[in-house]
Amino acid sequence: MKTLLSIAAGLALMAGTAHAEDVWTGGDSQPTSPLACDGAAPAVTAVPYNGAAVKGAADLKGKPISIVDVPKLIGIGYFNATAKGVAEGAKDLGSVTAKTDGPTKANIDDQITLIDNYITSGVNGIVFAANDPEAIAPVLKKALSKGIHVVGYDSDATPDAREWFVNQASFNGVAKALMDNLASQIGEDGSFAIVTSTFTTPVQARWIAEMTAYTAKCHPKMQWLETVEAQEDNILSFNQANTLMNKYGDKLKGIIGMTSVATPAAAEAVKQTNQCGKIAVTGLALPNSMKPYVNSGCVNGVVLWSPADLGYAAVQVMRAAIDGTLKPGDTSVKAGKLGELKIVNGSVVLLGDPVTFTKANINNFDF
Amino acid sequence: MLSRYVFRHETILALLLVLALALSANLSDRFFTVDNLLNQGRMLTEVGIIAIAMTFVIITGGIDLSVGSVLGLSAITLGVVWKTLGVPLPLAMVVAVLVGALCGAVNGLIIVKSRMPPMIATLGTLALYRGLAEGISQARSVRGYPDWFYVLGQGEVLGVPTQLWIFGALAIVAAVILGYQTFGRVTYAIGANETAARFSGLAVDRSKILIYTASGAMAALAAVTFVSRVSTTRSDMGMGIEMDAISAVVLGGTSIFGGRGTMIGTLLGILLIQTMKNGLTLAGVKGDGTIIVIGSILILTILISNIANRVRD
Repeated sequence: MKTLLSIAAGLALMAGTAHAEDVWTGGDSQPTSPLACDGAAPAVTAVPYNGAAVKGAADLKGKPISIVDVPKLIGIGYFNATAKGVAEGAKDLGSVTAKTDGPTKANIDDQITLIDNYITSGVNGIVFAANDPEAIAPVLKKALSKGIHVVGYDSDATPDAREWFVNQASFNGVAKALMDNLASQIGEDGSFAIVTSTFTTPVQARWIAEMTAYTAKCHPKMQWLETVEAQEDNILSFNQANTLMNKYGDKLKGIIGMTSVATPAAAEAVKQTNQCGKIAVTGLALPNSMKPYVNSGCVNGVVLWSPADLGYAAVQVMRAAIDGTLKPGDTSVKAGKLGELKIVNGSVVLLGDPVTFTKANINNFDF
Repeated sequence: MLSRYVFRHETILALLLVLALALSANLSDRFFTVDNLLNQGRMLTEVGIIAIAMTFVIITGGIDLSVGSVLGLSAITLGVVWKTLGVPLPLAMVVAVLVGALCGAVNGLIIVKSRMPPMIATLGTLALYRGLAEGISQARSVRGYPDWFYVLGQGEVLGVPTQLWIFGALAIVAAVILGYQTFGRVTYAIGANETAARFSGLAVDRSKILIYTASGAMAALAAVTFVSRVSTTRSDMGMGIEMDAISAVVLGGTSIFGGRGTMIGTLLGILLIQTMKNGLTLAGVKGDGTIIVIGSILILTILISNIANRVRD
């Protein structure tokens, strides 16, 4: 029993000391490329195609195809909107039957099992938003090896496990929009905290890494207090925002929500404690969920792209990849009503610049 | 005499399984292919391995809610011991299983020494072990395992998924222990009447600690195959898997009050759930619809079995 206790204590210490490093921001360890503070466009360097190749796919050029859309999870506003976009993209093309099916929780195993079953059922293409870039790779590679085309959106897999990835907005662009928005509200020496999904969610980790780099470059005096995890859970996000306010008191000037769930939850927490105006909330959020807070003046502005356009683009890219009109080496792709989309970093299709929703324009959007 | 067999829970379950298989095969021509069935076998392994040990736990009248967290902690141990501490991978796999066994032993000790209800004790360690996993991992995933390691979770031996062999061997050993060995008898005795078992001079405490230790070790074994299958390690692995395992065990006819249950029943339970999941997806039913059906099947099966029991008596 004593040895057990000492081992348990040892484990706890290991966990404890690891925590004692400087502020854990929750970013990933890949290189960052912060944009210029004044927003000057960065120089573009061409990268050769680095996506995967599908093996032995049937020639379906112009023929009817059936595809499945597997988001991180179903039942939240954001992925409802991407699913709508997927359906609309399929309808515009006319020759695509699309279906959205995903796990009810953002769970790697459920998502993998689901994709595996769709491979067996024999779809022509899979569009996905990954819960983990590495964990989803084996099952996507299996799809590619069976002649099924694979296109990602929102959250990428490792590039060798998919052909193309539709990126909602460049990571450094989102980082700049969020940090500039926050700095304009809490000043250059304000302290802030972040509510994210989980530290290993690839897309959030990437944004946070870019935000860290951009803050160091352009807002060096701002103080990053803490990043907390709240999965993509409404109640957990609300509780985490409350915990942050209790923990830091007057020191906390701003909260950034990194998910479409965390931002409205943080706004609600600030509103319920009557701290509108004292604590600034910004972040990534769907306009509909933020209208009450933005219209009442509690929240100044939030940042996002159109998730419906994202789903729409994913289907268009899938059709182009199957038709062979989108080939490795291309620098742009035609995406229906969205026009020409740029291709960057070898195999990433860029949707466009992020939009900042404020009182002035938020009522023009409905998603 | 015949009615004794006809109304057995396992017989009803086997009939349901045949029905589910026939229905699935009828709904999609891609269901009854060797490829698909073996692939399903691959995917049910982790829940299956955990459910084997869970059968013992539940037969003693206990429950182990911490297995999902033990899976997460063992997975992280495997990754961290190998990558950060630089221990050779085979040894790291052993360490991971030992850590799982240790977690299980702690559960057993708490339950036996403090007489805490197993549900409370393992609810506590469910949070404790997950917290340790997240603390140790620092939310970083460990990747880049060598190719030979993937044979375990993604490869095949004689055309059958590797982990299915392991699962099969474990299931047979467990079935023999439970059905034909003294230890199995003691397990049933504890669940049927713990006080009586104690006064009969059976090693109740030692058996319980052993069972919870085995439960932890099996969860760790599931962790190793899981890491190999998805080729990465995350601290949130196995979240909620305890519910899948418990569902399979009770669907298999093991009484949640202890004293009753069989390994065959658990295996049938696992197969039935996996068949439903796979069959319904292939038939075009979405994920949310599938879990509704599985929940209903669980309740209906137990209901039918209870009615059959009354008829038999």
